[in-house]
Amino acid sequence: MSKYGSKRSFDLEWVERWARTVNDDRILPVVGRFFTAKFVLGVDDTQYLVDVQNGKILRIAEGLAPNDMGYDFGLKAPSSAWAKFSQQIPPPMFNDIWAMAHPLHKQLIIEGNTLKFWQNLRALTRMLSLMRNVYNSSARDVA
Amino acid sequence: MNQHDPIVGRYVYVQCEGKTYRTYYEEHGEGIPLVCLHTAGTDGRQYRHQLCDPDITQNYRVIAFDMPWHGKSLPPSDFYLLEDEYKLTTRFYSEFIVAFCRALELKKPVIMGQSMGGNVCLSLALKYESEFSALIALEACDYSPGWWIDALHHPHVHGGEVVASSTFGLMSPESPEEYRWETWWYYAQGGPGVFKGDLYFYSVDSDYRDQVSKISGRLPIYFLTGTYDFACTPEMTERTAEKVKNSECVIFSGGHFPTSEDPVKFKEVITPVLKKIVSADPERRSSGAPSLNGGRTETRLGGRQEQRAPDGRRVITL
Repeated sequence: MSKYGSKRSFDLEWVERWARTVNDDRILPVVGRFFTAKFVLGVDDTQYLVDVQNGKILRIAEGLAPNDMGYDFGLKAPSSAWAKFSQQIPPPMFNDIWAMAHPLHKQLIIEGNTLKFWQNLRALTRMLSLMRNVYNSSARDVA
Repeated sequence: MNQHDPIVGRYVYVQCEGKTYRTYYEEHGEGIPLVCLHTAGTDGRQYRHQLCDPDITQNYRVIAFDMPWHGKSLPPSDFYLLEDEYKLTTRFYSEFIVAFCRALELKKPVIMGQSMGGNVCLSLALKYESEFSALIALEACDYSPGWWIDALHHPHVHGGEVVASSTFGLMSPESPEEYRWETWWYYAQGGPGVFKGDLYFYSVDSDYRDQVSKISGRLPIYFLTGTYDFACTPEMTERTAEKVKNSECVIFSGGHFPTSEDPVKFKEVITPVLKKIVSADPERRSSGAPSLNGGRTETRLGGRQEQRAPDGRRVITL
């Protein structure tokens, strides 16, 4: 395995482990105190709805339903890109969502109400970076 | 016992385009003047480690100034009457750098700038080559699009947090956490709209793609870019350097803010360049022997590969 780690699947169980890691975090309640939004984490063709309130994830869902009443913004990328992003040492151009979304690279699409995305960028960056801790715990489980 | 950095800060009045700018600068060292240009939206604190490094300051008078609108330098006194948002232009930026160097009566200084300070080196080479003895362009290329966006100055978005967070990923995840967050803090302290206004220069008014091949080559230019720079990728720097005569290109393992995000790594990559400039200095202005390798950190250029292209340009991959 390279220092960047290896690819893994992003099923609902993985997303749940990530959400629980997020909710255990002690920094997010501070930097995400006003981060209340519903966003979609798009992995290939799968859309996970992530419902955030005051920096905590209240609910995750696989797929969208009419009663969701939509969502604020979406972050959609191929699983190969998320796999790189969530490695402990992500490779260049995949270490950050804005890096992936930047017009030079186009590895991730930010759609919907991008104002909400920019307003919460600090907390969102922290929240997504915790995907790297999910990797750590699952690696320990395997070991 | 009290501990002080050896840095001294002063204000100088700089005339540029009909206005006077009270300009803050910090300096330390003796020898070749090394004028350091900060990145967009920040200030000269990005060079605090180099200003304090005896291995550098024994041969160089290191000077880092804050551009107008940045750090402790003020905007023009009538800024509140401006009928357009703040926008840095190639013309003003280049003229201000020259005016600052003249205000300090510097003789043939070396310019070292990063990001927008790196890109402007191309303009300095095109228009003011006789003013300088060498240019060090960190994280620079001839065109860096995609950053002049409204989200970076919007009344519904916290300017400090969005500016700092949008640039955080430009740093290498392997740079020390402490220094990455210090760099984040510099960004969070910029004035409203200043980062975005600088990016007008960075992404719109510094498209030098058709001009860089006209650089004469009389002034040596050193390009250094980190692998994690997603605004100016190593490939973008290499493509630019290929077109610039008398240039060298170093790609190293690091990010977009090498002087502040990982000063130890930066010392490794900049030491050979500074040593070379000392040995080539026609005025022999260094105050001591060129012993840039003998300091607190050893240079470890592991896996360094140097190639010489047919046109004599050297490309180094670390």
